Amino acid sequence: MFEILMSMIKEEWRIHSTIFSGMKFFLFPFVISLFVFLVSLLFSIFSSIITFNQIALLIHYLFVLFGLSVGAFGLLGREIMNRRFEQASMIAYSSRTLPLSEKRILLNFFIKDIIYYFLLWILPVVVGFAIASPIISVNLNYSFILLTTLTLSFLIGLSISFFLSTIYVHSMKLLIGILSLTIISGVFTNRYFHTNVMELLPSITFFFNPSMNLIIASLAIVVILSSFSIFFFKVDYAEKKRMFKNHFNVLSNIFRFNKYSIFIAKDILDMNRSGGGMGKILFSLLFPLIIIWLMLSIFLKLLPTTNTLIMFSIFLGVMSSSIYNWLTEFDLFTAYSFLPIKTSEVIKGKLNTYVLLNIISLIILIVVALVTSILNYLLPSIASFIMVSFYSLAVTVYLTGLHPNILLYDAKILLAYVLLISPVLLALIFLSVLNPFYLLMSPLLMVLSICLIKKSFKKWDDWEQQSF
Amino acid sequence: MKNAIEIKGLTKIFGELKAVDNVTLSIKEGELFGFLGPNGSGKTTTVKMLTGQIKPTKGNATILGKDILRSPIEIREIVGIMPEQENPPSFLTAEEYLHFVAKIRKLDNIKEKSDYWFEFLDFENQKNVLCKDLSRGTRQKLMFAQTFLHNPKLVFIDEPLINLDPIIQKKVKDYLQNFVKSGRTIFFCTHVLEIAEEICTNIGIIYNGKLIFKGPMKDLKRRGQHLEDFFLKLVKEA
Ligand SMILES: Nc1ncnc2c1ncn2[C@@H]1O[C@H](COP(=O)(O)OP(=O)(O)O)[C@@H](O)[C@H]1O
Ligand SMILES: [Mg+2]
Repeated sequence: MFEILMSMIKEEWRIHSTIFSGMKFFLFPFVISLFVFLVSLLFSIFSSIITFNQIALLIHYLFVLFGLSVGAFGLLGREIMNRRFEQASMIAYSSRTLPLSEKRILLNFFIKDIIYYFLLWILPVVVGFAIASPIISVNLNYSFILLTTLTLSFLIGLSISFFLSTIYVHSMKLLIGILSLTIISGVFTNRYFHTNVMELLPSITFFFNPSMNLIIASLAIVVILSSFSIFFFKVDYAEKKRMFKNHFNVLSNIFRFNKYSIFIAKDILDMNRSGGGMGKILFSLLFPLIIIWLMLSIFLKLLPTTNTLIMFSIFLGVMSSSIYNWLTEFDLFTAYSFLPIKTSEVIKGKLNTYVLLNIISLIILIVVALVTSILNYLLPSIASFIMVSFYSLAVTVYLTGLHPNILLYDAKILLAYVLLISPVLLALIFLSVLNPFYLLMSPLLMVLSICLIKKSFKKWDDWEQQSF
Repeated sequence: MKNAIEIKGLTKIFGELKAVDNVTLSIKEGELFGFLGPNGSGKTTTVKMLTGQIKPTKGNATILGKDILRSPIEIREIVGIMPEQENPPSFLTAEEYLHFVAKIRKLDNIKEKSDYWFEFLDFENQKNVLCKDLSRGTRQKLMFAQTFLHNPKLVFIDEPLINLDPIIQKKVKDYLQNFVKSGRTIFFCTHVLEIAEEICTNIGIIYNGKLIFKGPMKDLKRRGQHLEDFFLKLVKEA
């Protein structure tokens, strides 16, 4: 049992440390701590706007969100078994005769990811806060409680996502059923019992009011949901080979108005046929967005000057630039390097696909505006959404080329990413507080984004493909 | 005959390691040139430099008159390359992959051309299978087809026959021999000496990055020497 886990962890380390030095990967958590430390120093400013309880709530929900967005294991099916790591795929193949050991591999994978996220994200966040606590005169005890409750919140998010994605793989109808039931009962309890959002999650209640029962309740949610998911996890291993009719020609014809139609067609097929298919959009974009919307609409009532839709559009912009990250997951440049194309052309192809997919996010924004009838600020929010998404995309492409999912774990690159993106976001938020219509000027950022993207093409064409 | 490939002092250093060390060599049109050497001797690195996939640390080369430093893309347009690793290209099916390559190479009559190869290498029944799910041998067939799809005048093939069954291997060997008879050129990397001995017109032997021998196959045969013995002797001396 322990051996499989260790080999998976080693594999994860190998993937990251062959590309940049192991040292830079090792420094990644320190960058996170540093960032959180700096943000924590602003605590007194935050606490003059919103209460301590609200800040706590916000942070916990951010971790639920984080868990939700990384927990859609159910979609990965066969991928978990053989894409990520070679060693484990051998183990997976030997398990065809023993369904029990298959579940064990999955359990190990699940635990590995939890350890990984704990060490790289949760622990550094809490450490950053703990170091800042004496300076902002917060009792150090809070850090210990926070470590427990943030971990539990993350795990709850993770297992909810695991659970929902597992159901999705079995039946879309069942998923819709379960979601509608949850929403209806949520609205019902809210209306008739006047529950407080804080009490919805035991991990958050624990933060304010520690008791053993709440820990047990939180763990019960995690264990029940994830064991259910592991039990019903669906692997369509097919020894049988997957066959498809030729859709490539049709698709590349549809997009023939675009110079990169062949790449767009390929990306779309990759996305559809890889684990989870279009469900990836649902789990890594839609669900997190619903939570963001809920959070914003709760918090921004307290901040009369800020408009919910505008804030949402900024978040949406950052989130949707991560679509580019999935688009780079399907193959390595070595699959093209012997053909007469440059790295920059593959990147351009992905950028074109990204623009097409970004229409989904734009539609989400418009739908949210229509549903909530916040139409007065629709134009500035569209402007800020487009700008933020392109600017974060440009930064991602410049810093990481075709390897965002790996290179962002390089401490130096992560630092550059944070430093390039956060000032711009803060500036936009600041402008929107002054007057949302100032955001109509945000297309000026487009100039910067385009320069950055142009520079990236040259940078990545000159970059020599490493062997990994 | 003109030179198809001219290499001058080509060198590639990875950190401390001289993977390719000052190789100078010319290959004439119409040669089936066997580039031989044990694993790790620098064959693949040489091919990658010659086709502009990586940059040499020192030295230069021209491929069909084009400079590898200045025109890497043009070189990859005119030559065919069969890479060493038959990487499964994403989630396309075998046929879709060939069409994808054909479109990148801006060919016409794509369907005809790809069908020819499915038939020739006898894997029509695998056309609609995802590349990821193909067996190694079938992937190698697919990469072979991809190499010759645009009917290039020069091809680089890196260990192409290892996973093929004997019947297909025979077919492929005949194909390669006919290919050079029409004045086209093959740069053929392998560590399998029997195949090289059977089909190559010229050979070069690389060992620890250094070219330790070059010459026509005929000379060896005339001396009644077996490639294997010759190879082992050279490697021992080096
Ligand atoms: N990207 C790289 N980085 C570092 N070393 C490399 C790289 N590519 C190849 N090498 C090393 O260069 C040497 C030659 O490799 P290669 O050209 O693949 O040999 P061959 O194809 O003859 O087996 C080997 O020792 C290999 O480990
Ligand atoms: Mg090799």
